[in-house]
Amino acid sequence: MDISTGATVKSHCVGTTAIVYASDYLNKLTGEKIERECRRQLDSGCRALVIDFADTQLVNSIGISILLGIIDIAEKSGAQVVFSDVNNQTIQLFDMLGLTRHVALAKNEQEALSTLSGFNPMPTLH
Amino acid sequence: MSTADFNSRVLARVPRHDFVGRGDELDRIVKHANAQNGRGLLLLMTPSAGCSELLRQAYDRLFNQQSDVIPLYYAFTRHETTAVSAAIEFLQTVLQQYLAFRRKEPALCRAPITLQDVLELAPSSDLEWIEPLVKMYERIRFSNDNKALVRFCLGAPQRIPVRSGKAFVMFDGAQLADDLNGSVVLGAELLRVFGRSGQSFVIAGLRRQILDSARAAESNFELLDLLRLEQLSSEEAHSLVDHVALRSKVVLSREVRDLLVQQFDGSPFFITNFLHTARDRNIALNTYLDCERLYVDELLGGHINHHFTNLLEEMAPHIDKRVRLIRVMWEAVAGDEKSASVEGWRRRLEAEPAEFENTLHQLHIQEFVNWTGAAVDATTGSQTWKDYLRAAYRLAINADPRALVVAETIADSLKRAPNTMARHYKQSDRIDLRRVAGTFDCQRVPAVLFDYRAFSKTYKGMDEVELQAQIASETNLVKLPQTVHVASCYAFDSASRKAYEEERCVVAHAFEDGIYTDAQQTVWLIADLESKLEVDLELAKSWFDRLDSLARQNDFQRYRVWLISNEGFDEPASDLLRQHEAFCSSKRQLEILIQQIGATLAVQPAPVEAADEFLMVVPMGEENELLAASAVEQIARRLTFPPQAINQIKTAIVEACINASEHSHSPDRKIYQRFRVESDKLVVTISSRGIVPTNVGSNNAHLSKQESSDAVAEERRGWGLKLIRSLMDEVEFQRVDEGTSLRMTKYLRTS
Repeated sequence: MDISTGATVKSHCVGTTAIVYASDYLNKLTGEKIERECRRQLDSGCRALVIDFADTQLVNSIGISILLGIIDIAEKSGAQVVFSDVNNQTIQLFDMLGLTRHVALAKNEQEALSTLSGFNPMPTLH
Repeated sequence: MSTADFNSRVLARVPRHDFVGRGDELDRIVKHANAQNGRGLLLLMTPSAGCSELLRQAYDRLFNQQSDVIPLYYAFTRHETTAVSAAIEFLQTVLQQYLAFRRKEPALCRAPITLQDVLELAPSSDLEWIEPLVKMYERIRFSNDNKALVRFCLGAPQRIPVRSGKAFVMFDGAQLADDLNGSVVLGAELLRVFGRSGQSFVIAGLRRQILDSARAAESNFELLDLLRLEQLSSEEAHSLVDHVALRSKVVLSREVRDLLVQQFDGSPFFITNFLHTARDRNIALNTYLDCERLYVDELLGGHINHHFTNLLEEMAPHIDKRVRLIRVMWEAVAGDEKSASVEGWRRRLEAEPAEFENTLHQLHIQEFVNWTGAAVDATTGSQTWKDYLRAAYRLAINADPRALVVAETIADSLKRAPNTMARHYKQSDRIDLRRVAGTFDCQRVPAVLFDYRAFSKTYKGMDEVELQAQIASETNLVKLPQTVHVASCYAFDSASRKAYEEERCVVAHAFEDGIYTDAQQTVWLIADLESKLEVDLELAKSWFDRLDSLARQNDFQRYRVWLISNEGFDEPASDLLRQHEAFCSSKRQLEILIQQIGATLAVQPAPVEAADEFLMVVPMGEENELLAASAVEQIARRLTFPPQAINQIKTAIVEACINASEHSHSPDRKIYQRFRVESDKLVVTISSRGIVPTNVGSNNAHLSKQESSDAVAEERRGWGLKLIRSLMDEVEFQRVDEGTSLRMTKYLRTS
């Protein structure tokens, strides 16, 4: 296993949806970086968050508690959250700690974006 | 007789390299001797802090130096019964040690010689002053003028001719001088004679007694220097235990070593005697149980017992009065009486006023009590003293069976041991607020360091390098005041002793801009709150109210409350504190502040040696749990565990490591891992030193997989154990004296 922790969190926006990429190990340090990035995206007007776990091999309970905090923050901002590309082991952990009750899961980023467009929480402006 | 070389051991009982923990004090005494500026040095010792070996080491260094400083060491002992006999013994010692020094013969210091031998051994150049001295002594000795005889003997060092060198006298155990019978109060006389001699000297003894004697002798404090000798620090005491155990060939574990240091509060006297008993009885000290069994033996019949019993016999020679004293003392300790009436004590002791005052004075000197005017506080003695007192009370007053007292004292000591260590670890792990506040000296620091919400918003999750750069470029700065005094909150409100742990809560008196006016005077009340999560409104409010109330009680005109917690403060708590203009910071902010003002953190725990061959040891933090996870992955692959199971084991290990790091207050900051491969399973044991969690032991030793998810949801940061239990097949806390040892088993399922 070759795990390293990146100094920054990668992200990009698709419309009003921010896609934030979790690193290979989700712990307190990397969790807080994701939280910071999500806050920044919400503050700059994003209405939905996709957190992509394609690179994530290992998560710990503190990282999961921070994810719950992000879900709370998003809820308060009226934003949707979807987790994408979560591996089976991690889904098992999310299940154990009740995280999957609060968030939608998608196979990959595209499915996540489709899921969100289905929700479409933003009113259409004329 | 052998001639001295540079490292000869003359009076010292241990080699120089085995003498630990008093290096600065030793240098100070030797420097004082070499300065020869005619000043006295009062060595003020905390009871049982031990200063005899320090003085003997100083003697040896000066002896081996063979300069014009002639070292002379005299220890008062309980064997001397009168001031006259002690003074005569002193004269004999002076002449003997003088000759040993002049002839460079260390063995002469310890040889049993008479005054006649002195005359025969003295070089001819010294006979011209020694012979008349001995003759005059013989004459005065039979003159029936005790005061003259005592003064003559004490004045002997002044008769050494200048051409031979300058005498430097060190008196040890000076508190015993005042207890000698006769018409002369020797302690005060000592200070009078040497205070006027123009020679440099050292008088060492119990701090309260020595200062009393100096005042009684109307000493000129302008000519006296003071050197305070406290108990050893934890690091010094650890080193002492290691050295004595090695020298005495006593096997002991690190856990027991650390417990001894805490239990005896770093007292070299008790630690050394305890280890000598272990040596004499050939007892290995591997566990707390080994340690406490021997401790109770010592308490009820060994060195500790003799030490305290002798002191009590001196204070109350008659058995009935002694028993009454034990009763009154223990009942005051057990009742936590901090301010008992002196008159009440006198009536209960049925003592005459003069006799009672003498007893109380002795108790005060030994620091068994604090006696101030009409009140006496018996709660301040050491834990060892209280244990002795309790056992003595049960045996002498309750007439409890000795076996019962022994058994219950062992049990009580064992129950107390984990708490003693937990208290110590928490304290060691904590940033020393006293030191931080004491470093405030008008430095300008970023205001954001005192505002958790602002810090959290801007800096939380930021890369470390970027954070440091941005903090450095902060333009909104606050100027710290200049601190002039820092003390524990407890010192200002002793009634709230339990609420204010010594170093967790301090009061700092300071001046803004370092300008000493009423308008600039301010007081900072600082508390470090214990919380795993952000502090909530309720906790923040209770601490703010407590400190605010303390400030009002003490009539602080301008004050500032500053609350600190590991993880900061939630929004309602921050809002409340902001409304009251209080500061709040997380531990991270505090660490940055410390970097900025250059204060040093709490004492760092000493590193441990490499673990044994079956252990993998990683330092806590720095994502080192990943190293353990990698190691177990390799091992599990060899056992052909499926990928999902490997991931489960890795996650469980990561959680166990995080738990150990977060909850143990570990003194060595290490995680010990043992991986055992068996045919059908992998057993992983993760251990750490430190605090024993409250959920370990009794019915929680074997953990069930059933647990309420609702309760867990409320405590997000308590998920580690739940995960471990779900991911592994068997989870068990093993019994250890301190810290935790979590054994996790995963079975290899071939089906």
